[in-house]
Amino acid sequence: MRIASRGLPLLVAALAIAYPFLVPNFYLVYAGALTVMYAAMATSWNLLGGFTGYVSLGHSAFFGLGAYGTGLLVVRAGVPWVVALLASALLVTVFAVVVGIAAVRVRGASFVIVSIALVSMMNLVVQGWRSLTGGSTGLQVPSPFPDLHRGQTHMVFFYLFLALLALALASWWYVSRSRFGAGLRAIREDEDKAESLGVPTAAYKVTAFALSALFVALAGGLYAVWFGSLDPIFVFSILIGSYMVLMSLLGGVRHLFGPLLGALIVAPAGEYFLIALGETQIHLTATGLVLVLVVLFMPDGILARLTRRRAGPSIPDETAEQRLQGVAQ
Amino acid sequence: MSDTASSLRTEGLSKSFGGVLAVDGATVELRDGKINGLIGPNGSGKTTFFNLITGMIKPDAGRVLYRGRDITRHSPHRIAHAGLGRTFQLCRIFPRLTVLENMLVAVRRTRLRELLAGLRDKGEVERARHWLRRMGIEHLEDAEARDLSYGQQKLLELAAVLMAEPELVLLDEPAGGVNPALIDRIVSLVRDLNAEGRTFLVVEHNMDMVMGMCDHVIVFDRGAPIAEGPPSAVREDPKVLEAYLGV
Repeated sequence: MRIASRGLPLLVAALAIAYPFLVPNFYLVYAGALTVMYAAMATSWNLLGGFTGYVSLGHSAFFGLGAYGTGLLVVRAGVPWVVALLASALLVTVFAVVVGIAAVRVRGASFVIVSIALVSMMNLVVQGWRSLTGGSTGLQVPSPFPDLHRGQTHMVFFYLFLALLALALASWWYVSRSRFGAGLRAIREDEDKAESLGVPTAAYKVTAFALSALFVALAGGLYAVWFGSLDPIFVFSILIGSYMVLMSLLGGVRHLFGPLLGALIVAPAGEYFLIALGETQIHLTATGLVLVLVVLFMPDGILARLTRRRAGPSIPDETAEQRLQGVAQ
Repeated sequence: MSDTASSLRTEGLSKSFGGVLAVDGATVELRDGKINGLIGPNGSGKTTFFNLITGMIKPDAGRVLYRGRDITRHSPHRIAHAGLGRTFQLCRIFPRLTVLENMLVAVRRTRLRELLAGLRDKGEVERARHWLRRMGIEHLEDAEARDLSYGQQKLLELAAVLMAEPELVLLDEPAGGVNPALIDRIVSLVRDLNAEGRTFLVVEHNMDMVMGMCDHVIVFDRGAPIAEGPPSAVREDPKVLEAYLGV
């Protein structure tokens, strides 16, 4: 079991790095890049959702802002794309701190509603501000690699998203083994209790919110230069936000690799349904059905189901050794 | 009395919930370095008083002073950093964290370096184990807290509070729902911790425990203190008998 739990991630990582050379066509490279992008975003979402239990359905706001920020800096200001990407992600993080201070004041269902309101507002602002963003006609971003053909571009972005995923996973891992992470998990369990133990809960939540937004914004920025065409209705959709939630819940929010596993299932399935069923919305129904089944049968996700230890419900007040000593005396 | 340094003092503390005065102008001074008891009939405002002191709810009027510093309206975590620790009436732990993780949640200071330190930071883990040992639950450190018995959870809650190194510990019904053997253990723990210099404020319905353990008892009725003094004096006080027996 231990060897499997150490070796498996390495094997998957090696497979991921080799993936573009293993598949027969560039379409699969494209689908792979998309899957890794979603995996990176779901892992970032889990920095907030998994640790604190604050379920944001509006994380596509940060995806869209990262995308538009990068796109606008490249198109309107002529900034090199890498600089635009980083600057935009930084701006989104600052924005997330401000929004977070207000948003994490409410808990539970109210927070979900606030997060939905956020993405709707961003959508309206970007659509309405025609002179800057091009409104609903969208924004065209030139390719950063004009010399590469489309397939090679997919390959470059596959590795860029893979690097982002590695960064998000490393951050989650680092937080999970820090006292900051223990504080965040305590917030999920009992926020008032955590506060009474000296945990500055508001500051913790805002930090997790902003960190989570940072990586999602980076994914959005990469998406902007990859796709080259931004549509406010797509990038600011509840759907992208829901995907992050679904993938995390499916894989297991308490596990480092949970969102990644969820993404590896949901994203290819979405692409498959899109091909098999055409450009209809039926694949959304299938996705919804998966969510219902997961919540019903595996409320803690697949990984929790697989790795569940049988701790047993009762632990004696004394150890067996103490009890034996007691008997002997 | 005013000459002895007071660790905690409230002045005219009031709180009402929709027309019901839960705490009504309570002016209370704790004896520093002693085990203070807070008793009173159900609904006399003891728990609300606790929540006002620890910042969980904000008062409508009045002040809370800790070692001369006004901590009224401070957030609970700042009050915790000032040196106040509390347990809850219905034992509150983090059920899905391990026992050791429960211990490591407590934060004494918000220093970035400490917050980013690993959970297995040696010094802190040693400190956590020290408290778990004193509670007699060190063999459970890797168990999820929800798998502990209720009594063990109560001990864990107290251990986690002590991890934050409070000078003043507020216990809300430490004997509630606990077997007699464990009550004795908790009493002797509180006595030891008190002897080491910690001040206590204990809300409790178990009169034997209060009278046997406390140095100073404050009696609440209808949101304000009606009597205080050593247990022997409080027990004989006619106002106290009236509040409890309604004669």
